[in-house]
Amino acid sequence: MITLAESHWPLSDVDTVPALAGFVESSFSPLAAEVARRCLGSATPKPGPATAVIIVSSTGDLATARATARAVDTRGRLGPLLFFQAVPNAVAGYIAAKWNLQGPVVCLSPAEPDLADGFAVADLLFRDGDANQALIISVEQAQAEGERDTARAVLVKGAV
Amino acid sequence: MAESVAITSMAVASAYGHGCDALLHGVLSGKPAFAPVTRFDVSARRVGVAAALAGAPSLRTLLEEVIGQACNGEPVDNLHLAIHGEPARGHFAGRLFPLARTYTSACVAASQAVADAASSIAHGFATRAVVAAGYLVEPDQFALFDAGRALAADEAVRPFSLGRKGILLGDGVAAIVLEAGSAATRKPLGWVRGWGRAGDAYHVVQPRPDGSGLARAVESALRKAAITPLELGYVNAHGSGSAQSDVAEANALRLAGAADVPVSSTKSLHGQSLEASPLVELITTVLAMREGQLPATAGFLQADPECPVNLIVDEPLAAKPRYALSLNSAFGGANTALIVGAP
Repeated sequence: MITLAESHWPLSDVDTVPALAGFVESSFSPLAAEVARRCLGSATPKPGPATAVIIVSSTGDLATARATARAVDTRGRLGPLLFFQAVPNAVAGYIAAKWNLQGPVVCLSPAEPDLADGFAVADLLFRDGDANQALIISVEQAQAEGERDTARAVLVKGAV
Repeated sequence: MAESVAITSMAVASAYGHGCDALLHGVLSGKPAFAPVTRFDVSARRVGVAAALAGAPSLRTLLEEVIGQACNGEPVDNLHLAIHGEPARGHFAGRLFPLARTYTSACVAASQAVADAASSIAHGFATRAVVAAGYLVEPDQFALFDAGRALAADEAVRPFSLGRKGILLGDGVAAIVLEAGSAATRKPLGWVRGWGRAGDAYHVVQPRPDGSGLARAVESALRKAAITPLELGYVNAHGSGSAQSDVAEANALRLAGAADVPVSSTKSLHGQSLEASPLVELITTVLAMREGQLPATAGFLQADPECPVNLIVDEPLAAKPRYALSLNSAFGGANTALIVGAP
């Protein structure tokens, strides 16, 4: 596996994440889109269409899940945008469409933050010929006060 | 790719009850398993039905049950799991079975798990893998799908039919054991002959209308199976019953050269089990091939000219296909194709 480009969030204590149109209440999808933008923006050459998008997160979109649960428990109104963003596939689809990445879209949830499953799945996709590069994105949302979200994106290709 | 991949054991629980026999008899009955939801309050929802097991079973307990049945005393190693996490309720997907590789790719999670497990065997990295998947209808996803107006307001799923209104959710918990053909300890129930995954690169939630992403997944699976589309005898479609998805799937079948193959969507019977649905449908496909009865699609009203598929309706089709195709698609333009070979 060869790393072609990589990016992180945050890059500093004052790093910010731009809002992402159509996504509300949660940092998960904006963070995924932002580290993808930073990673692919720095990649030379740009990835070809046979690139997979693999999102790896031990927390999943915790903030969207909490907003949903809160609305259900209080009989509050649920907007349709929460439905559209409720699975990590959604932002993976946004990234795939924006960068014309026509490889598989895969989402994984390890027990603890770790990209290893993402690399393992990318390796199988390469061997099977379903992709020749993969954008592997990790988003971990803060679970408690005082914690901070983290995100990372890595563009890889097979070693052969 | 030298090694073949055998399906040597299967276990399932669905709204039709516990066990493969209950699922097979249920889908061949043609009677959808949808009924008013009593597991939680749906009085604030537009739609009030789902295909659910009785009571409020535990996902972990049911997963342990089907995995135990499928493994039948053999070790549960190399576990590939497809589930829907509920982190706001304290259920993080990856922590349910921490040693598993856990897929959360919405409605293709389980078929990706099958593809990767089969791939790891085919490439010689493993001789055995367990694939398990589970979703039980619960209030949060029900509310989200209702808010997104994705649930069928007429409380029926009508795949590929004019007048289709959307999906309905259903319980599905399932497990299979895959073994390298050269090392199989049990007689194969069927073979995973091909698998393909591809993306649409089109939209956050809508499928690419021309079906080209799903068609590439089918073509990849056909290449691995080393067969032509003319050799397919059955398609268990994704067939969600939603307006855009069914059109895209019909286009994909045409692009892949499989437009004339008999098709059914068993989601019209057992419901949409989200991350777990592809495994329930794969098991249904294997059971139907062995029975020689391909399930009919429920809910059909009238042919949709935009969905020109060879849909099985009214009653099961007697046939013993050598090869069948199981298709799934999901949000984000994720597509999978699995090809099952008869034993």
